[in-house]
Order: sequence, then C-alpha cells, then structure tokens
Amino acid sequence: MNIAETHAAQVFLAHHDFVKGVALKYAPWPGLMEDITQQVFLEFMAKESKWDLSSDARPLLATMTRHIAMRLWRERTRQQPEVVQKLADHIRLLAEERETPPRYEDEVRVLRSCLQKLPQKSRELVELYYYDDVGTPQIAEQIQMKADTVCRALSRVREKLRECIQQSMNQGGHAHA
Amino acid sequence: MLEADSLIQHYLEGTLTDAEAEELHTRLQNDAQLGSKLLQHFEMDAMLRATKPLAVPGKVIQPALMPKRRFTFATVTTVAAMAACIALMGAWMAMSWLKSDVEATTASVAVLTRGVNLEWDSAAITPGTPLSPGLLKLKSGIAQIEFYQGARVVIEGPAELRLISSGEATCTHGKLSANVPPQAKGFRINTPKGTIVDLGTEFGLDVNDASAEVHVFKGEVELHKAAESMKSLKEGQAMAFAAESQLRAANASSFASLNEIHARTALSDHSQFERWQAQSAQRNADPSLKAHFDFQDDESARSLRNHAYAGEDGSIVGASWTTGRWPEKRALEFRNVSDRVRLSVAGETKALTIAVWMRVNGLDRSLNSIFMSEGWGDRKVHWQITREGHIRLGVAGSAGKGHVDYDSPVFFTPERFGRWMHLAVVFDPTAKEVRHYANGALLARLPLKDASPLKLGIAELGNWNDRRTRSVAIRHLSGAMDEFALWDRVLGEAEIKAMTK
Repeated sequence: MNIAETHAAQVFLAHHDFVKGVALKYAPWPGLMEDITQQVFLEFMAKESKWDLSSDARPLLATMTRHIAMRLWRERTRQQPEVVQKLADHIRLLAEERETPPRYEDEVRVLRSCLQKLPQKSRELVELYYYDDVGTPQIAEQIQMKADTVCRALSRVREKLRECIQQSMNQGGHAHA
Repeated sequence: MLEADSLIQHYLEGTLTDAEAEELHTRLQNDAQLGSKLLQHFEMDAMLRATKPLAVPGKVIQPALMPKRRFTFATVTTVAAMAACIALMGAWMAMSWLKSDVEATTASVAVLTRGVNLEWDSAAITPGTPLSPGLLKLKSGIAQIEFYQGARVVIEGPAELRLISSGEATCTHGKLSANVPPQAKGFRINTPKGTIVDLGTEFGLDVNDASAEVHVFKGEVELHKAAESMKSLKEGQAMAFAAESQLRAANASSFASLNEIHARTALSDHSQFERWQAQSAQRNADPSLKAHFDFQDDESARSLRNHAYAGEDGSIVGASWTTGRWPEKRALEFRNVSDRVRLSVAGETKALTIAVWMRVNGLDRSLNSIFMSEGWGDRKVHWQITREGHIRLGVAGSAGKGHVDYDSPVFFTPERFGRWMHLAVVFDPTAKEVRHYANGALLARLPLKDASPLKLGIAELGNWNDRRTRSVAIRHLSGAMDEFALWDRVLGEAEIKAMTK
C-alpha cells in the first residue's frame, strides 16, 4: 500500500460512522448497513486516485453510499416475498422522508457510555441478544419467559438508551441511562 | 394479534412471517407514530450491533432470515486502523471484479431542438425529443436537429433522413441544410448518389428521385461519388452528383437556413400562444372547473389568479417565475424544498379530473409532488411521480380503511426530463376507473377500489405539507408548471386530447 492509499483508508475511517448513518437512511433493512459500508469502503479505495482528498470527503461519500445503498437494497429486497417487499418499501420511504439528517455518527459515540449506565439485567439482555447473537425465542427459553416478553424487554432497553442519548446530547454532558 | 413491539422486534430480527409483514405494513399506514418508533428502534438496533466487541465467546445463532454478513464493519475498522495491508491488498486485487455503479444509459445520437408546423409520416416527435438511430420521415414543416457531435441540420418536409450515429446520417429524399462547427468536422451525409464529408462549413443538400445537388455556403466539403474520385467543393460552389456534372454557383436562398427557422419558430410560437389564450378563456366558462391557474400573472405577483368561477386564488411560496411552453408564456419554477403553491378546493367531489402542463427536471425524491392535499387520510388525494417514473394517484381511505395507489406504467424516463409534458388523471366513479393520460394519450386504466367521494381541501402544487410537526416528508418537485386545472367531473378523452393541441 502506497502513501496515497494509506491516506485514503484513513480518510474513510475518519468518516465510517457518517457512511453508516447515510446507509441507514437509504436502506433501512436489518443487517444491510454493514454490507453497504463495506462495499463503499471497497469502491472508495478502488477509485482512490480519482478523489481529491484535500477537500471534505463527506459529499463524495454520501453520494457513493446512497448509490450503493439503493443497489444493495434492491438486490436484497427483491429476494423477499411481495408482502415483505411492500413493507420494506414503506419503511424506506419513511426513513428517506425524515427531515432530520442521519445522527448515527454522533449518537453511536454517546451510546457506549449509556450502555455502561444500564441496569445489570438490561445489560445482560443486550449482551445475550446483540453480542452473543442469541435470538429472542432462545432467550425466552433460557429465562423461561414468553418470547413476546423478551421482545418488549428489548424494546424498553432500546427506548431507555434512546432517552439517555437524547438527554446527553441535549445537555452536552455525561450520559445517564 | 402481536403487539407492535413484537412486530418491530421480528422485523429487526428478520423473522417476520408474511402475515406479520402485512400486519405491520397496515399498522404503519394508519399510524405515523409507529413509523417513527420503528425507525428509532431500527437505528438503535444498528448502533447496538456496531458496539459488539470483536471477540465474544459463546453460542452463535444466525437467525434464519438475517442476511449473512461477510464480516462486520468492526473488523474493517480494526483492520484498516492498523493499516493492515493484507486486507487492503485484498481489496486492491478485488478491483478488477468490482461492479461499477449502475448508470442510466441512452441510445440517442441527436436531439430535435426546434420545429415549425411539423407533420410526421414516422412517429410524431416534438422539440426537445432525443433521437436514436433510425428513420425520420417528415411530411411537412421544418425541423432542426442537433447531432451530439455538434452538427446542426435543418430539414424541410417532405424529407427522409436516417440517423446513423452522432456524426452521420443518410438523406434519401428531400432538402436539408447543415451547419458544421469545427468540433464536428468530418460529419457525413450519405445519399443514394454519393457521400458528403464536411470539413467544417455550411452547406445545402437537395435529394430527389433524379439527382442530388450540394451547395456550399461557407468553408469546404468533400464529395465522394460512387466509382469516381473525391471532389472538393469550395464556398459559393454547387454541384450535382450526376456523372460529368459541372460546377455551378451555390444558391443559398433555396434552402431553409438556421436564421429562417428561428424566425419561423418565433412566429409559430406566437400563434400557438394566441390559440392557447383563446382556448384557455373558453375553458374558464365550464361550471365544473374548480381551479384553473394559467400562470399568466404579473411576474412580481406572489399569488396566482384562479380563473375558475368562485375559485380561491393560490399563494406562491418560494417558487420563482420562469418561461413556459412559449416565450410569452409564464411558468413557475420549483427548485427548493420550500417551493410550492398553496391552494384550496372546498367541499367533497364524487368525480375528479386534474390536468397540468409541467416540465420535470429530474426525479430527486422518492415521491415528487404534482398536486397533493395537505396531510393524509380521509379521502385526500396525492398526485405525484415516483422516483422510478410512475405517475401515481394516491387516494386515502376513510374510516380506518387503507389507502390505494393507482400507478401508471413508467412514463418519466431521463429522455423526458426538461421537456414540457401534459399530464391528466381522471377519477371516474361511474366507470369505476382511474385513468392516467400523458400528452393526450391514455397511459393507464386502473380499476377503482373505492368510489367514495374525495375531499381535497387545502392542497399544494409541487410540494406537500404533511402537517406532522417533528418530521416533515420532503416531496418537492424539481421542475416547472405553466398551467393547472381541476374539474369536479370526468373529462372525456377528446377533451383531454384537445388540451394538448
């Protein structure tokens, strides 16, 4: 890897959370954000010599991400049954029409400290579901509760984290879950 | 019935059944708050996944419907942050098979830029139409064609011209004159009697059954006759393709020039504008006309006069004045997110026809507004264009019923951007149909699913006020309008076609 390529990789890394935010807006499909980010990374590096990296890379990355997001979105949703496709289209429209710009970049930084503030049980649930990849039916089995109860619990945890992030960003201070 | 939390969780987990997907879709259509909630959970879910530590021991279960991940972005971050050349070199090696972005393509080689009294024996085309290789048969009138390589050709009907490429055409019959700038040097016109290669000039060509003649007005052309050596023709010279023909003086006055087409276009535009004015005034007498904006208001005006009897004037927000279909016709340009015209159509209507003359510059949004009732629900109407180019009449349900979208086939393709188009849509409760028209031709006939009366109320041209306070959908139009009309009755095909004449 030469110096220019290393520099391009560093530029991308400095903006990877921004890319994720754009990906979420244009392709709100579970799991697709990482694939989009990865593809943007590959295509950005492939054409590295074309970019003027002395200026703000965000407009370029936003355009690339949008194109790739829409391409992967089409590929992914095309494989789904018609009812799911309709639902997916509806959700994409909702996401795209939201007035607020992608906030992922700022929020993900605050999220880590909010996670530390969660009660023990909630943190365990996050670890089990998000880090150990245990599905809700299996968690329900493990803790001998209904699957719906686990869904509600996860929903509450996410809401709690959202409140914490909001509070922290509004105050510009420490996060409190 | 599952709770909303469970449906959202199943969506995030990728385990929604078809029935659950349908259920969630219905609930989202009827509950805007649920949409916001779902998106918030979706974003938080994505962020939580991204906080996953790189190595976590324990059971790994891949949910059935979750897409398989090649590797997480955390991996990419780590690898790249360490400047680990191995991964990047892998990316480098992959360059050759990386797919490039899918781009729209066009086969067109020229564009019809002007036309005066055009009548075609081949498919009718109007100024602004991109032209692909093929035969043009002009019955009468004068057409100016600009080839993408830069040559400008004026053909006079009756004439037949076959476009071959952006730098070549074949004239089998009729008269044409060509202006070839230096950038288009080498432009070729074939005839049954031979070929003309232009060296950067202006020339005229007259092809009839008996012979073909070339007249050079400026510069130089090469004449390539069959079985004869090439002849060079200079400014002021003319020659027939026939064998042993002699040089003659060129006669510019027998060919339509670019200046002439400018003058005749201006004259034709003026007469079309006057004809439109007369027809427009007649239309205003129709008692079923509920709104008619002709956009001929003063250029400093910030309200639009509604010519319908007892119709309220519209209010211009943001949009700026520009030129319409003809130089004397005014139009409003919608460019920014804020640009719109606010209007109001009182009461309920059982039947509806809406028509507009508009120029679409591009489809920047998922949904691009033409005419949209404020808010949504309770038989409101949204007439818009989807990003894919479908024209959509969306009608909201009442009493908890879902809405119905009546979509035309794809009409707006890139070739149609930047050109004035007439669109009309008819809501016909008697025939139980919604009909879409474009430029006077029927585009789609769709069965009406709910014939209950419509409630338009306050509405907008070129934008939408969805009345939500926290998140406002962006559906503004990128383009212009120079006439809008709305009737509370069904207009027939002949009436709609008449508006496009």
